[in-house]
Amino acid sequence: MFIHNRGLQQSAVALTLLGLVLMPSSVANAALGAHALTINAERAQAGAQMQSFKMPDHMRYELVLPNGGSVHEFANAAGDIFAVSWSGPGKPDLRTLLGGHFGRLQEASGVGRARMLRQPAQVNRADIQIQTGGHMGYFWGVAYLPSLAPAGFSTSSLK
Amino acid sequence: MLIKRLAVALLPVLLAACSGGASAPNSQTTTTVTPTPSPPPAIVNTLAVVMDAGPAALQVGTNGYSAFNEPYVTITICAPGSTTNCQTIDHIILDTGSVGLRIIQPVISPALLAALPVETQATGNGVGECYQYVNSFAFGSVRQADFQIAGEKVASIPFQAIGDSGTYANIPSTCSAGGGTPIKTVQDFGANGIIGIGTTATDCGAICAAGNSSAAIYYDCPTTGCSAVISRAANVTAPFQQLPNPVAAFPQDNNGTILTLPAVPQAGQVTVNGTVTFGIGTQSDNSLTAANILALTTSTSRLGPGLLSATYNGKVLTQSFLDSGSQEYFFIDTSLPICTQTALNAFYCPTSTLSLSPLITAVDGTTASGSFLLYNPNNVSNSSDVAPGLGVNPTLVKPPLPFANSFDFGVPFFFGKSVYTAIEGRTAGGRQGPYVAF
Repeated sequence: MFIHNRGLQQSAVALTLLGLVLMPSSVANAALGAHALTINAERAQAGAQMQSFKMPDHMRYELVLPNGGSVHEFANAAGDIFAVSWSGPGKPDLRTLLGGHFGRLQEASGVGRARMLRQPAQVNRADIQIQTGGHMGYFWGVAYLPSLAPAGFSTSSLK
Repeated sequence: MLIKRLAVALLPVLLAACSGGASAPNSQTTTTVTPTPSPPPAIVNTLAVVMDAGPAALQVGTNGYSAFNEPYVTITICAPGSTTNCQTIDHIILDTGSVGLRIIQPVISPALLAALPVETQATGNGVGECYQYVNSFAFGSVRQADFQIAGEKVASIPFQAIGDSGTYANIPSTCSAGGGTPIKTVQDFGANGIIGIGTTATDCGAICAAGNSSAAIYYDCPTTGCSAVISRAANVTAPFQQLPNPVAAFPQDNNGTILTLPAVPQAGQVTVNGTVTFGIGTQSDNSLTAANILALTTSTSRLGPGLLSATYNGKVLTQSFLDSGSQEYFFIDTSLPICTQTALNAFYCPTSTLSLSPLITAVDGTTASGSFLLYNPNNVSNSSDVAPGLGVNPTLVKPPLPFANSFDFGVPFFFGKSVYTAIEGRTAGGRQGPYVAF
């Protein structure tokens, strides 16, 4: 939370109104790779609070879940969500959050026996990167689509 | 409620019936010239820990395999109030990194399972639970059993019957939506069950009491199946609602544990034998003698309980922890070579043994060395042998994605040490928990 001083550009109320007017009814699209307009339906479904921030080359949406956990979503100038990150007690609804990319996480979760039984899932590919981790009652992760990120984007901004 | 009251009333009978059970000799080290033998503990509080190839069922069939770096104990569960309808279950993972007793349901004999009541709510519906691990999740019923480990007993302890049938056969979508693989069988889990003896007194605490979910998610389970998430109170004494830390639920020796494992050679060892001792400073055999006593974060911490900091390569990693349930060290060091074999995905393969020196800092500022030797896994004789000093990189992306604030000191860090784990809110050896000490 080092960027609050960049200023709140749009209120959650304004986004709600936008969502009512423009949101397609399906929330199945609310996910990594989808348009940022889908985030509000996801927020409502999760019962989360949301703030959004205009950064120099992207929009940053911060959701606070009922259990205190965080979900951050990052959209490029065209409004495409190019990254999501999460942290907090318990895991958020990653099936919704990752959308069509959820399968990549699942493939990476089931690889291990014996020595690799309890390794956090990770994906390191040209089109998608996923890092996960955690401990008793606190989990974190980030999923990133490099091809949708703004030119010159630094992944250190993804916290 | 009636069942619980009966069980409490019967506990003295159960204690009397079982007090002639197995008792390990008390190996007390003394420095006096003319030692006087310490009186044996009033309650047998020490138990063997074994690290081996795992339960028999793990190795059966074409998908069978041998366990790696798992510390196991043996427990006994009985039908509440019974001293005869009991089962002793081996190869239960002793995990300082989670909380609660969980048993793979098919491991429990049908006659005993039928006598283990499912916890119910005021509505009469049963209670189900989902519990999330870092790359997997377990779903099942919450049942009650009279529980014994070494000489320690808890009447009608709630435990999770993982992979339970009937009403509990279908995993709720909100449980699987967190991702990871479902744990249903011994081969999914690498064990017959797990006993979580981490730093909290229950497996969820205030978050589940407020009707939300943490690693634990509690469900309303009418006969049609489990779907709605429910609140469960965080009682730390009977009647429990959440799964308690079994150690916190003991009548005595309930402030923590001491896990003692021997040093293990680089080439590995087929079997490693250690001990777990219950209680800290409660009996003649569990004095707090550790050189390093390191206070940990509590349940109210924004980053979760049981944490300390590790400083590694100049970075302060605030979400670091000791965990007997992690099979290796997990940390990020982009300068170290990664193994190329598929079977060693994300393992570090240093060209020669490296001495690594993370500095551990407790929440009160106390520091301790977290140094260890990082070995190449190809130098271990047999891939299923217990092995020290193996490390895994949890993100191979370069540069690493930004959630790189953790150094997980897995079970190899416990080798050659006695590691104390003191429970939050309990005084242990004159010090307030939660802490780890070694």
